[in-house]
Amino acid sequence: MRQPIGSSTGMPCQELVELVTAYLDGALSPADRESCDAHWRTCPGCRTYLAQMQLVVGSLGHLGRRDAGENGAERNHLLDLFRTRGFHHRGPRERSVPLGVADEFASPGDHISYFWESEDEFDATAGFLAAGVERDEVCVLLGHAGANSRLLADLERRGLAPDRLRRGDRLHTVSGQQPADAVLGAIGDRIRTAVDRGAPMVRVLGNLGWGHPGWPAEGDILRLEARVTDAVRNLPSIVMCAYDVRRLSGRSLLLGGVECHPLTLRRGALRRNEHHVPAEQFLETLALDAA
Amino acid sequence: MVRSPPREMRGQRMGLSRNHRVNGARMSSGANASGAGQTATHAELSLIEALRQGNEDAFGRLVDQHHASLRRVARLYLSNRAVAEEVVQDTWLGVIQGMWAFEGRSSLKTWIFRILINHAKTRAVREGRTVPFGGVGADDIGGPEAAVSPERFHPANHPAEPGNWTSPPRDIRTSPEGRLLAREVGEQLQKAIDALPPNQRLVLTLRDVEGCSTEEVCNVLGIQETNGRVLLHRARAKVRAALEPYLEGGG
Repeated sequence: MRQPIGSSTGMPCQELVELVTAYLDGALSPADRESCDAHWRTCPGCRTYLAQMQLVVGSLGHLGRRDAGENGAERNHLLDLFRTRGFHHRGPRERSVPLGVADEFASPGDHISYFWESEDEFDATAGFLAAGVERDEVCVLLGHAGANSRLLADLERRGLAPDRLRRGDRLHTVSGQQPADAVLGAIGDRIRTAVDRGAPMVRVLGNLGWGHPGWPAEGDILRLEARVTDAVRNLPSIVMCAYDVRRLSGRSLLLGGVECHPLTLRRGALRRNEHHVPAEQFLETLALDAA
Repeated sequence: MVRSPPREMRGQRMGLSRNHRVNGARMSSGANASGAGQTATHAELSLIEALRQGNEDAFGRLVDQHHASLRRVARLYLSNRAVAEEVVQDTWLGVIQGMWAFEGRSSLKTWIFRILINHAKTRAVREGRTVPFGGVGADDIGGPEAAVSPERFHPANHPAEPGNWTSPPRDIRTSPEGRLLAREVGEQLQKAIDALPPNQRLVLTLRDVEGCSTEEVCNVLGIQETNGRVLLHRARAKVRAALEPYLEGGG
């Protein structure tokens, strides 16, 4: 057996082999790096070890480059997907996302008003969140305390452990008790953060606190609703706003529920809403009304 | 249909404080060494802009660049080829639909892999498979593991050369620069990868096969960089050990 030349620098070979990855990553302190270099100068065994590692790493990289490209049919299919499902694409989008309510499907970018009258109809909105959880999406609650705590209890009953979802960044609450700009900003932040982490989509469930203590005045909530449609239309998100038909004023229901949402969901049917008014026009009229 | 907002509205969509935040992230990452691949480059951001305009060539180039990698990584979560393909397609759909919300807080590649891994994890869990880095304490790296068997070194109490080689790896004839293992060894290489524990295999594949930086790998998997490097080190050491007979010149 060949007599190995040990290092004269004090670092045993056994220790050095454990530093190779950090060394190659440039992650060692200058002092450690220095002792590695010194060791290699005097130790052929460790030099060979390093060379073998580099050879292995290089060959692994080659494995990755070997079968790039090829897939013609698949590539065309993906281009087709880009063409038809990309958000630059105008007009109605394919409804591909299960809403979780009434067996309906919606598209990312949708802003829907949900008119409810019975307690069962309210509880069904938890299905909207449950469908998101099922698909590994992120859910955001934008609502008054009463509605939110009821939804959390509903999720709990469905076995979805809202506390765990919160800890896992899968369920968030955004406060509606602030100016419209701040609410839009907070929702946008939530969506962007979720997308950045690889979440496929974000669901926002609104139970706006019309007339609730601490919430903005009706006019301010209307200004928020009017702007949500454009704000989310190019984002991987579905915003559904629940409207309590029995308790809200006719004006809130008509201006907020009907005129601010391109889609409505009522008695189990999702419909394109011909009465939706584009934000600019809506806000102009609102300003005139106020004057 | 008057649903699409004017261009300048889309540009500033929600909130105004984005740039500030992006710079903040860049600074904090720059503080701990390389910072390479942390945030999207200008080239990536202009590619995203092209995608937003509906530029099909740009999308095609992106597919060419990453599709094979995505498929390989998906297969680490899902052994069923068809299911893995579906996950990859969902990933591209995620890119298509998420591009207006992507703002370059991570590199484009990191983002795409994150979408993939999110989908792959969900799918694998649904199919009742164990998932790399699943569960709580998922990046627990376990007890110590030696890169090279301790039997190949003198014991710590050796009078002359404690901890030095008794049987060092033998010299290889090829110089590592620009040289690769011969084709028949490629098969052994794949076998060695397949034999790795799932977490190590995933880290090694992302880092060495797909060419992500260690920082990117840890970002994608949501693990600590030190833990990621330990797993990478162990994986590389195992692969080297498995290939050692082929690395030694005459063999």
